[in-house]
Amino acid sequence: MGRYVVRRLLQAIPVLLGTTFLIFALVYALPGDPIQALAGDRAVDPIFRATMREMFHLDDPLIVQYGYYVQGIFTGDFGMTFRGVPVSTIFEGKFQVTLNLALMALVIEAIVGVGLGLIAALRRGKAADTAILAFTLLLVSVPTLVSGFVLQLVLGVQLKTSTGIDFFPVAGTSEGWRSYLLPGLVLAGTSIAYLTRLTRTSLMETLRADYVRTAIAKGMPRRRVLGRHALRNSLIPLVTYLGADLGALMSGAVITETIFNLNGIGRQLFDSVYLSENSVVVGIVTVLVLIFIAANLIVDLLYAVLDPRIRYE
Amino acid sequence: MSDTLTEQKPVKPPKQKRPASLWSDALYDLRRSKVFIIAAVLIAILVVMSIIPGLFSPVNAFDSSTCDLTIARQGVSSAHWFGTDNLGCDTYSRVIYGARISIMVGVFSTLATTLIGGLLGLLAGFYGRWTDTVLSRLAEVFFAVPSTLGALLILAVVGRDNAGIWTVVLALSVLAWPMVLRIMRAAVMSSKSQDYVVAARALGAGPGRIMQRHILPNAVAPVIVVATMNMGVFIAAEAALSFLGVGIQSPDISWGLMIADARNRFLQAPEALLFPALFLSITVLAFVMLGDAVRDAFDPKLR
Amino acid sequence: MRVLKGAQIIAGTAVLALAVAACGGGDEATDPATGGAGAAAAPVTVEIAEPQHELVPGNTAETSGAEVLNALFIGLVNYDADKKPINQIAESITSEDQTTWTIKLKDGYKFHDGTAVDAQSFVDSWNYTANGANAYEANYFMGSITGYAEMNPADPDGDGPQAAPAATATSLSGLKVVDPLTFTVQLTNPFSGFPTMLGYTAFYPMPKAAFGPDGKVTAAYGESPIGNGPFKMAKPWKRGVETTISMVRNDEYTEAKAKVEAIDFKIYTDLNTAYRDLQAGNLDIMDQLPAEVIASAKAELGDRYIEQPSSGIGYLGFPTKVGADYAKSAELRKAISMAIDRKTITEQVFSGTRVPADDFISPVVAGYRQGACGEACTYDPVKAKELWDSNGGPASGAIELGYNADGGHKEWIEAVANNLRTNLGATVEPKPVEKFATILDDLGADKWKGLFRMAWIMDYPSPENYLKPIFAASASSNYSGFNNKEFEELLKKADSAPTVEEGIASYQAADDILLKELPYIPVYFYQTNAAYSANVKSVKIDPFERIEIANVEKA
Repeated sequence: MGRYVVRRLLQAIPVLLGTTFLIFALVYALPGDPIQALAGDRAVDPIFRATMREMFHLDDPLIVQYGYYVQGIFTGDFGMTFRGVPVSTIFEGKFQVTLNLALMALVIEAIVGVGLGLIAALRRGKAADTAILAFTLLLVSVPTLVSGFVLQLVLGVQLKTSTGIDFFPVAGTSEGWRSYLLPGLVLAGTSIAYLTRLTRTSLMETLRADYVRTAIAKGMPRRRVLGRHALRNSLIPLVTYLGADLGALMSGAVITETIFNLNGIGRQLFDSVYLSENSVVVGIVTVLVLIFIAANLIVDLLYAVLDPRIRYE
Repeated sequence: MSDTLTEQKPVKPPKQKRPASLWSDALYDLRRSKVFIIAAVLIAILVVMSIIPGLFSPVNAFDSSTCDLTIARQGVSSAHWFGTDNLGCDTYSRVIYGARISIMVGVFSTLATTLIGGLLGLLAGFYGRWTDTVLSRLAEVFFAVPSTLGALLILAVVGRDNAGIWTVVLALSVLAWPMVLRIMRAAVMSSKSQDYVVAARALGAGPGRIMQRHILPNAVAPVIVVATMNMGVFIAAEAALSFLGVGIQSPDISWGLMIADARNRFLQAPEALLFPALFLSITVLAFVMLGDAVRDAFDPKLR
Repeated sequence: MRVLKGAQIIAGTAVLALAVAACGGGDEATDPATGGAGAAAAPVTVEIAEPQHELVPGNTAETSGAEVLNALFIGLVNYDADKKPINQIAESITSEDQTTWTIKLKDGYKFHDGTAVDAQSFVDSWNYTANGANAYEANYFMGSITGYAEMNPADPDGDGPQAAPAATATSLSGLKVVDPLTFTVQLTNPFSGFPTMLGYTAFYPMPKAAFGPDGKVTAAYGESPIGNGPFKMAKPWKRGVETTISMVRNDEYTEAKAKVEAIDFKIYTDLNTAYRDLQAGNLDIMDQLPAEVIASAKAELGDRYIEQPSSGIGYLGFPTKVGADYAKSAELRKAISMAIDRKTITEQVFSGTRVPADDFISPVVAGYRQGACGEACTYDPVKAKELWDSNGGPASGAIELGYNADGGHKEWIEAVANNLRTNLGATVEPKPVEKFATILDDLGADKWKGLFRMAWIMDYPSPENYLKPIFAASASSNYSGFNNKEFEELLKKADSAPTVEEGIASYQAADDILLKELPYIPVYFYQTNAAYSANVKSVKIDPFERIEIANVEKA
């Protein structure tokens, strides 16, 4: 087990290098001079441009630039933005906001998704199942921006102005965990749909398994059958999905963060792409990859817990 | 909730005189499945709609002279069944004409990711050890790339001068196949240790045969579920990319593009968003139903 | 050269921003930001986008940064309701020849740190901004002052291999301090409109404390600028990290004190979000509203909705020298212009937040003539088609319409595309690019062949600002390649008139040349659409679209 973890962590290094290089190369290949982007719409002073290009090694080949970057990372230095702000300063507070948001979304999707999936599986073919199917399709096809708008308007503005209940803040993070309720729900949307479908399928499979039939035949209380045998054995694909989703939620939060005016990395990521700020983009991606690797490792370890037949030597 | 647990499928009467092949059994089941028939009809209609949109809409949505800005954002009327959009174009004809790109993006991205991810996931899960290590790490390199960011970058770099369906399919698929791999791998890993696989192996079945006959049919269910959901997500993701200025652009028409265009004015003119979203939902529904039916037909445990 | 990108309008723009302290504005004083004042009153909250740079006058050339600095600083002049400059810190601004200007200051103005606002503080600030090596956004504002060229040598071959020559000066030779309250400004060319320039952000003074031992403006100053205006910083603002810029009233202010004790500028990335915060009572003032909410804002807010002309103009531009055939022909440009239904576009796409443009000079400045554009800006599909066909339009290839996808321009560009397709029978390809700079890069490299969207917001209220910086052959923002001798002559004549008023006829004559040649097509004039909550009153917007912050009162 311990050796397995060490091995996985060692294997994470090529993944980290591979992903960051991929992103680094893509940002490198973006059309447009980043120094010009820095200046916005006016012409750049040529001396300034030359100094900046020299300072940020912009005239070196891709691989050399990447080398400088990795060198910095290993000494704990995420580099500077073109405007001379250390990237670590840009991160300040933002990862916390996005992590809070993603965790809230994860909790919401786990509760709602598994709950709905459970009902759908148990009521297979009945009205509840169909209604849940329709609901999940709605979640997939209505864009985040619209669900965000509507929730913000109904729960943030109208609830407050008509009843005086000020429970859901329209925007910002000043109200602690309550600030994350609406954005978390919006962000979780598509994932709820996936998780509901996965839970339904997975649970239906297990409910047909011999040991569940046996347990029922033995006269074991149904609740116990469901909790002990069926649900636990259906969890593998769900946990897989949830583990992989954390990273996706964090990086995909740009629209949610914008609607709810949250100062997170999702938005930072896109702003930096527009400015070709390779150091910031790759810096954020590096941290996201680390989170992703950690989440996947935990998921793989959970496999062994959930299913004793899976062993890691 | 508890009584359903006891509700078991009635044992089917033994079928007679058919070769006991899994595939022919499945086909036989499918033909008799109501869900399958509904799904197949819906998909057939959508496919025809993609190929010959003129059959469904008298108005050619690509003809901009049919748009009249003075009647922008109108509701449902006899002249405009689904209302008009922000530019005064007929939403009904645009929904019909938008089917082609949306369905193509959805279908081809799903096919690409399911085939690549499914195959590699099967190999990784079945062989384990270094095969698993290499494939899983390779998948992680792509999986770890934030998907919208990655697609935006790929399209900005590759697709600036050749934007279109195929670059969008590429951008979406490159980043999405690892998810299928992981799901497949997990399913294979858990069915690998099932008794019947151990038994087959003990009886001397080769790896190819075990994978094809025993593991794949049992592991394919979660993959089909994810693939059919992916379909809708790909169609919707295409919208997000259009909105960021990469991917499908007008004068091409796609549901994603229509939803993206209508979303800011959703409160003023909900029709322009709801109808393409409805068609998107129906399309996904059709594929989800198809997936369910196919899975049931292939599931040996249901026999 | 303020080219409008519309950057605030939409999600995913290059504007960074942060979370907001969204407390129940107006009901309670929970915000620690007001701690400095120790007052019980909650601050008045104002919506802005994140300023693009640290808060230094010379490095601020966009509206949000200017809005913030406007509360911290006052300039040499202010403007009356007719946009005419009236002296504020200046005692007098005079010139015999429109070239050498003598500026005398009133005594008694002080910075927040107690030091006097003297001639040196203006000269230091302007010199620093003019220095190309500092790469300040407002650098170009100093371009008309003698000595600018020595500080900003031109690269002989653009981006080519030759290095630009080194700068030969670090201060403007045209600026001379005569005594503590007097300095002179030598311009390279006569310009009667010079005093109208001086109220803008770029010309604010900076105290000695702004500069570090190395002569550079310090980082600390950028986070907590010391100004001379009605408000001062309550605490430093860390750009990119903090989402609220907090200020308290400057009680030592020389002029009439501000009416409220504290102001919080709250940073939003999405105007729709800000508007919903305003509806919910969490935000007090917005100086611009998104088009989607105009109808409901008019109905819900009544008197608290403000609509007035703004200085912005939206154009479609042509690369007239290197572009496609339709971009090179004045007749085809006119045909395109006449095929655009400006009225319906401004009504339906912009919900009345824009009005059809009919001149190159904005209605907010003297010199604007209603309907000056005449036939060329009047929607006439039949004539447009005739003109298009008779000048070889159909053979000139597909019309490309370039725009930046991050600025909310898609709808109107698509509407124009439909107009052109229907009315001219042409193939039209809207071409979104990820960001505006990409279009400008391509234009600079002569690679852009089709139309491109463009907008301009004035730097100072003078007709000259709508002509020279965009269409003069040597202007840095001349993206059309327009180069017309007569136009240059007329501008020169107008600039050297004894007063702006006397130059107007010549500016208008220059304007007429543009209207005939149409290097750009004027499409719409911007409107200011502002709104405020029931918590405040006396909210007015000045010609620069800045809130007259010192006069805002609590309701």
